Amino acid sequence: MGRIVYAAAMSHVLYPDYYGQNVGPHGRQMVEALIAVVREMGQMLAAAAPDALVVIADDHLNVFSFDAIPAFCVRVGRSVNRMVQDDAIEFDRALEGLPERYPVHEDLANAILETGMQSGFDFAASWSAPLDHAFLSPVSTLYGHRPVPPLVPFWVNCFVTPQPTARRCYAVGRHFARVIAEGPWNVAVIATGGLSHFPELSLARVGQSDPVFDRRIVKLMEAADHESLAALTAKELHESGSHELLNWLVLLGAVSPARARVRFFGEMGRVDLAALEWNVA
Amino acid sequence: MSRYETNVVLYRLKKDPAFRDRFRADPRGALADADLTDEERDAFARWDARKLNELGGSLHLLISIPGLGGH
Repeated sequence: MGRIVYAAAMSHVLYPDYYGQNVGPHGRQMVEALIAVVREMGQMLAAAAPDALVVIADDHLNVFSFDAIPAFCVRVGRSVNRMVQDDAIEFDRALEGLPERYPVHEDLANAILETGMQSGFDFAASWSAPLDHAFLSPVSTLYGHRPVPPLVPFWVNCFVTPQPTARRCYAVGRHFARVIAEGPWNVAVIATGGLSHFPELSLARVGQSDPVFDRRIVKLMEAADHESLAALTAKELHESGSHELLNWLVLLGAVSPARARVRFFGEMGRVDLAALEWNVA
Repeated sequence: MSRYETNVVLYRLKKDPAFRDRFRADPRGALADADLTDEERDAFARWDARKLNELGGSLHLLISIPGLGGH
């Protein structure tokens, strides 16, 4: 019987230069402190020796276009490439130098997809979607030079309305928990993104975060009040700039009823940064 | 469905360097065939990113078009 051997969620722009340029020295220092914590978390993750690492993240209109935006997409196939694009924006440019290809845990990915379809989750599947910073910034920071285990990348549509509901994301996580429990593998699960930034996805409001909302969310996760988190509305997520919390809601469903432990919380202003672990052992 | 067309143009600007070059040299010419309203077309021609955002243009596209991003 399989189990979740490690679970965490964290912000996914782990680049000091980006915050140095866009926020200033305190932004740079804050993200450097977060990176140090994420590296420590990576030691815990590597020590848990997962057979597979599920990464729940979102697309920034890098992979999917307005031709079709899946609400949820499982990356299947044998391997997955790092996204390469000419003139990439700064935090995707920072992926240069990382390995170009990562293994996919094909059996777990297929199990999530196939049993999902059988039980009412109409997931999209991709055999070709590459990974951008939302996946590889946390993975590369967690693992450093250690070998990365086979991945199961999973996309949630966080940014193009209408998004899936918080409750539906949580239900997807419950599905992950069932698949993992029924399988033979030890699995690590991470969710990425957040905390609040880009409220209302408004260009005029870039630079603002919602620390009151973020404090409340983190407390709910510490208290394992998953019902309150699953009840968050699209309006609340949109107005506070917490769109990427949908990734975290999938993870919450997977680890429920575990409580979160805050490893890092920082109110930067442009975005609030966090890294949390769940007591799954 | 202009929100769609606006984002299709933004996505092309992000992903298609040749189209981006044509747009920078001659915005109205590059967009001649795009199904945009006059208001959207004007916002593109002026490269008024906030206006495009207000008209439904994706923030993540607007901030990630090489040479035109920034905010």
